[in-house]
Amino acid sequence: MSVPLIGLETEYGIIREDLDTSDPVEESMKLLECCPRKSVFRAWAYHREHTHVDMRGFQVDRLEQDEEEDEFCEQDRQRPYSYWEMKSDRVLVNGARFYNDHTHPEYATPECRTLFDLVAHDLAGEEIVRECVRRRNQDLGGSPLQVFKNNTDYSGHSYGTHDNYLISRRLPFDTWVRYLVPFMVTRQLFAGAGKIGSEGRNDQPFYGLQLSQRSDFVESLLSIETMTKRPIINTRDEPHASTQDYRRLHLIIGDANMSPYATALKVGTTRQVLAVIDQERLPPAIELADPVSDIKRVSRDRTGQVALKRTSGKTITPLEIQEWYLEHAGNSGAEDGDPQESEWVSREWARTLHDLRHQPEKLADRIDWAIKESLFNDFMEAEGLSWKDPVLQSVDLEYHNIDPDRGLYYGMQQAGEVTGLIPEKRIEKALDTPPKGTRAEIRGQMVDRELDRIKKIHWTGIEFDNGDTLDLTDIILPEDVERMLNSNKEQFAWK
Amino acid sequence: MEMNDPLRREEKKESTPDRKDDGPSRPDVSRPGRDDLLKRMKKVDPKQSEKYKQRTGQ
Repeated sequence: MSVPLIGLETEYGIIREDLDTSDPVEESMKLLECCPRKSVFRAWAYHREHTHVDMRGFQVDRLEQDEEEDEFCEQDRQRPYSYWEMKSDRVLVNGARFYNDHTHPEYATPECRTLFDLVAHDLAGEEIVRECVRRRNQDLGGSPLQVFKNNTDYSGHSYGTHDNYLISRRLPFDTWVRYLVPFMVTRQLFAGAGKIGSEGRNDQPFYGLQLSQRSDFVESLLSIETMTKRPIINTRDEPHASTQDYRRLHLIIGDANMSPYATALKVGTTRQVLAVIDQERLPPAIELADPVSDIKRVSRDRTGQVALKRTSGKTITPLEIQEWYLEHAGNSGAEDGDPQESEWVSREWARTLHDLRHQPEKLADRIDWAIKESLFNDFMEAEGLSWKDPVLQSVDLEYHNIDPDRGLYYGMQQAGEVTGLIPEKRIEKALDTPPKGTRAEIRGQMVDRELDRIKKIHWTGIEFDNGDTLDLTDIILPEDVERMLNSNKEQFAWK
Repeated sequence: MEMNDPLRREEKKESTPDRKDDGPSRPDVSRPGRDDLLKRMKKVDPKQSEKYKQRTGQ
């Protein structure tokens, strides 16, 4: 299987509406403290992380952040909390990690094998964060704490939603980059969550609705950085698996989708493109002359028809690029994964590109930026506003509010105007059940059964109080999971 | 099997790209749901995005 495991990490925005200045460190810590779910608390094995190793064969001494964040971090060091307290890591019985990353509550799904498992776990994450917000607001009285699933504060601060894919190390990294770049530049046609206005440094200002929240923040082609000079392809080389056999493609360019359909299409199409790259079945790649600038160009044209320059001197449109990938990768999953899911991805990818080309208004029931376009057009008409009115940024933010009584996406859902994808029962199950046939199943069961004995925990293993360890580094495929469970039936007595 | 539920749901309502007569259509703005949404949007604090200051994340 070309892409055996997939995962999503979402950093949420957090604010106290009753205070003039909200302290995200305090608020995020308090939020994590409110989590009622059974979990290993403050025991993440940070010594197992290797975030400074670059895919291009070198290591950096430190990761960069801007001066403002440097100052904040200096202030954080004066707080009466340890690093562990501020991070407040939790590992849940469903195998997920829920913690604070750079002052944002972050939900990292367990590793999943199937696309719809992943979407269910992403939605379960939303529900768990919401559960914590409810409890925190009960303590505070009223609903002063609000949390948003988005990627920007409209003032130049971005936080991420990363999609992750375990891929083979057999091919050179350059090959993955060459084939992925045009796809990633144009994936926002259906994966963009939409954003009012622009925030780019030294850019022409843009008024109105962009396709993507994140595109203004992409400044380089390749980089190990995630907080400055954000790249189209992140080069962090940390597979959380055998470094001989695997890479983890850690994509930081994506938006947080409120629409589960958009999440599924984003990850499903990317997985199918990775499969055909791995199988070396693609004709020569489309080479864009200026992909970094193209990211913004694509985001600011909702038709998908803007001309992008190729190194050959010719031009190509974002829609044509996506149609090229659909033609060559549309059926790749049928031979390389769950055939039913692959069929869904192929069909919906084709339908979405077709609708964008011929009847873009049809996207308004499932693609986040198009849902916003429909909603905001009605609002502007009713209120006599134009795209330049600043109130639209506030309305845009509210689309991402995870409070079901306030959030505009949830309002669309309650009105039956958006496509549902994952049955409620399946989301409920994902709250406390890890995805079957993955190492997350072992991790989750250990959290459930051996909570008091766990000293340290990580994606790749568990350390117990008595010195025993459980190494999950090589547990990638369902047969690996089965073999591990069968190899030590006393340890896994719950099986 | 539960895993297939989303697929079955989609199969029921989705169209193929070359058929223009079915699949989702533009939301009907005259529906009561859309009116409620417009009311919800009017309640949004116009200064909300200005007050919403976040720190840089990854």
